[in-house]
Amino acid sequence: MSDNGILLDIKGLCVNFFTENGVAKAVQDVSFSVKKGETFALVGESGCGKSVTALSVMRLIADPPGKIVAGEIIFDGRNLLELSEHRMRSVRGNSIAMIFQEPMTSLNPVYTVGEQIVETIRLHQKKNEVEAWELATEMLRKVGISDPGQRITEYPHQMSGGMRQRVMIAMAISCEPELLIADEPTTALDVTIQAQILDLLDQLQGQSQMSVLLITHNLGIVAERARNVAVMYASRIAELSDCKSLFDKPLHPYTQGLLKSLPRLGFTGKRLYTIPGIVPEPLHFPAGCKFHPRCPIGCNNKRCQTVEPQLRSLDNGRAVACWFAPGYERPDDPK
Amino acid sequence: MNTNANTNGFLLKVDDLKTYFPVRKGLLRRTVGYVKAVDGVSLAVKPATSFGLVGESGCGKTTVARSILRLIPVTSGKVIFDNTDILAADSAHMRDIRAGITLVFQDPFGSLNPRMTVANIVGEPLKVHKKITGSELTEQVRLILSKVGLSADAINRYPHEFSGGQRQRIGIARALILKPKLVICDEPVSALDVSIQSQILNLLKDLQQEFSLTYLFIAHDLAVVQFTCDIVAVMYMGKIVEQATVSELYNNPLHPYTVALMAAIPKITVSTQASTHRLKGEIPSIFSPPPGCPFNPRCQFTGDNCFSQNPPLVPVAGNNEHLLACWHIKK
Amino acid sequence: MSENKQKTWGTSYGEMVWHEFAKSKFTLCWLGFIILLFLLAIFAPFLANDKPFFIKIDGQLHWPLFKAFTASDYSIFLAATVAVIQLLLVFRNRKSVDPSIRSGVLWRQIFISVFVVLVGIIFLYIFIPRRLDATDYKSMVASGKATNAIFAPIPYGYGRTDLKVREQPPNRQHWLGTDDVGSDVLCRLIHGSRISLSVGFVAVGISSIIGIIIGAILGYSGGKTDFLGMRLVEIMMAVPVFFLIITIVAFFPRSLFNIMLIIGLTTWTDDARFVRAEFFKLRRQDFVQAAVSLGLPLRSILFKHMLPNAIAPVLVNATFGIAGAIFIEAALSFLGFGVAPPTPSWGQILSLGVSTTGRFLWWLTLFPGLAIFFTVLAYNLVGETLRDAIDPRLREST
Repeated sequence: MSDNGILLDIKGLCVNFFTENGVAKAVQDVSFSVKKGETFALVGESGCGKSVTALSVMRLIADPPGKIVAGEIIFDGRNLLELSEHRMRSVRGNSIAMIFQEPMTSLNPVYTVGEQIVETIRLHQKKNEVEAWELATEMLRKVGISDPGQRITEYPHQMSGGMRQRVMIAMAISCEPELLIADEPTTALDVTIQAQILDLLDQLQGQSQMSVLLITHNLGIVAERARNVAVMYASRIAELSDCKSLFDKPLHPYTQGLLKSLPRLGFTGKRLYTIPGIVPEPLHFPAGCKFHPRCPIGCNNKRCQTVEPQLRSLDNGRAVACWFAPGYERPDDPK
Repeated sequence: MNTNANTNGFLLKVDDLKTYFPVRKGLLRRTVGYVKAVDGVSLAVKPATSFGLVGESGCGKTTVARSILRLIPVTSGKVIFDNTDILAADSAHMRDIRAGITLVFQDPFGSLNPRMTVANIVGEPLKVHKKITGSELTEQVRLILSKVGLSADAINRYPHEFSGGQRQRIGIARALILKPKLVICDEPVSALDVSIQSQILNLLKDLQQEFSLTYLFIAHDLAVVQFTCDIVAVMYMGKIVEQATVSELYNNPLHPYTVALMAAIPKITVSTQASTHRLKGEIPSIFSPPPGCPFNPRCQFTGDNCFSQNPPLVPVAGNNEHLLACWHIKK
Repeated sequence: MSENKQKTWGTSYGEMVWHEFAKSKFTLCWLGFIILLFLLAIFAPFLANDKPFFIKIDGQLHWPLFKAFTASDYSIFLAATVAVIQLLLVFRNRKSVDPSIRSGVLWRQIFISVFVVLVGIIFLYIFIPRRLDATDYKSMVASGKATNAIFAPIPYGYGRTDLKVREQPPNRQHWLGTDDVGSDVLCRLIHGSRISLSVGFVAVGISSIIGIIIGAILGYSGGKTDFLGMRLVEIMMAVPVFFLIITIVAFFPRSLFNIMLIIGLTTWTDDARFVRAEFFKLRRQDFVQAAVSLGLPLRSILFKHMLPNAIAPVLVNATFGIAGAIFIEAALSFLGFGVAPPTPSWGQILSLGVSTTGRFLWWLTLFPGLAIFFTVLAYNLVGETLRDAIDPRLREST
């Protein structure tokens, strides 16, 4: 049992994918920690490595072609990467649960919803058939599904997207996990349903002190729901901060660019700010700072072009990986 | 040419468009009911403006777009484009109309033929409509590609070699090479990375300026619509429930659905807290819509009329441009 | 053609499939085996012939082997030459033709090739008389009447009967033995490969074309047309094909072409279903909707947009179909419904395994059996690798 309230501590995680066209370094040197009862957001665009990081915590990376090549994932005092597959299975679904983006493909279409929840319950808890079904019905009620006794006998295709997502959440919390990993849980849902689901997660968190690792590309959700956030770009963490400060005063040029370029309600300008260029692919990452080709201040800087900045902690608990961040020697400063 | 079509200076006028999909059951496939995907939509778009159509999934906005272009059989209504009734046009006229209205699709991965090179994808419409071939065709293709921000190198490449944002640019180039008057954009940035969205949105705006285009812009993201459009209509369950200029809608939303939609959007402000105004319930199944106003199961203001009669879309008192379909909210 | 221009050329679908296919060295070996079989079939008269390449009779040089080429021999040479030229052209296209116009160019070339071959075959059959050279060159050499004779490596003809050496097991003179009328088995095996390989291609060609057309019509129309059409297809599928073939063959004259035609006419249902399914999927795809919305003509939508994307399962099925057709032909010949003697066929040799005296002539069963086995195996392996090459890889790269 670890102290100072840290539930999940990831240190220096590196995940590589060995493909025919080369080694794709999907996650490089990622470190952050999630406290008990808090919502931590991992934000980034496609290909940045956030989903791979989440899957690594659950050790669900397909090997081959993927492999966790370095780092530690300390959960509740134990390094998950050192556990045997057998022990890991008793962690999955039990202490750490995960919900995915596409509820339709995450639920098995040939089993009823109830059967799927009961399977999880019976796997991890010593309950008999009747108790498991009762617990499952109770879970459905907890996630806000009306008439759970009836719903529990339905198949996934008979339900709407929002309801399927609720079922997934019910499955996930049925064993009272300490950590819930939510990988883009609302991206496939409508805005009004999205709000309901996020409210539900908040509510469940309040009831059970569950931590949530929220993976998303939607900065608005992060602003409203997360306490701390890590912004990932091209396999690395660009910026690590508490939410309020991040949106108040973003430090990394990528975060700054993202926030400036988002269309927002109330924006009256004629043009949006844009980050030029395209998101790099894992097999073709630029040298030096991965963001430098698109960076307004780093694109012509020698150091940014050649040397990768490490994630460096600042005094206020924030961390940034940028040569121009406060606290770093300015690249042009004399030695 | 349909001479009794009177459009009053509007480039596109849609009159009470209804698109119903029959539901067939049984061995003999008898029609047992209808899915009313578009249930009486009317709108009018002035030239060189952007008209936004907003709503969640299943509200019918994409069906409106496809109905206008007759990609889906329409049940009833009129669609008048440039003084011609599209729905009544014969195939020869339809060919010309298709050169005047083009579509930009949502999915950059599915909207380009994976077996054709960019030159063929973008150039084929020009070859078919204007019978241009050879080096002149290549020249035109190069020109339009440069306008959307792609280099001439792209000509002999295949779609799979490009990123999502670049493919969307190819799709836009294909839509613009015929110099259409109206471009229907069906969720053009929803499937793109966040940092690319602003590039494409700016591009669309620039192109509109340069070519005097008219946009019918379909999206589910209100913020995107606010940036791109002049007039916005909110759809719910196949009907337009509110319509106004962009600033009016955002400053003064009246329909309970619009209000809830805006409250549900996660916002980034300095002191951000999730709004507590929430819609209860799910979007009802489109197979069995509730009687009366389609919004009544989730509305907090329901009265008697709401369950029996569908409210008409009428101007709000004091503002002819702000339309509202609600029995209870009055300005 | 500058190198720089080529650098901007993308990789087409065909190139990607080949690249993926070529990763399996194992399958490439089997592809090599198939090519070897083809060479065997094409050059059969040079390998196994009872007429010598040349011979001196009474001081005069004769070339009996070449003189005795039949129309079918010449047709095969023509088809093989045109095929090789076409293949070389494909490589040249890759290097020097713009990808954007490449498919148009390729189709034109294929069209010309097929046209040349068909016209050539018709001409050959009209103008080349059926000669039968029954001279026994070997005995002429033996008796000294002729000198300086060079024979083919297997100096036996497939039509030649020699009752003195009938039903002999493999020995020095006849490496794989002889059959019930004394013909050399190895010679008949080599010439029989022509039958097997051509049946495969022509039958599958016919069935694929029929299947594609019907599948496309049903898949594109949907609705009532599709409903009724599918019921007809299902009726066709319900008929046991092999028995249908036997029944039809019994009524018509036994010619190779008839057999190919009948196999082709009865095995198209799978291709039709594949193409129909693909067309259903494609109709809803955005790029097809885009083509319709841009007012492109139906011809272009069907042939440029839908068909190229629907053809993949047909290609895969074709390789399995070739194997199946070879198998059907062998079975037909085994049962006595195949090509008439003296035309050699693997199945026919197989059927002679049990002689009239009740002896089991193992060499007449084993060697054709092995030939059929390895050929069908080769096609199946190539088909499987092709399916893997086409399928998920290319979806992933999108």
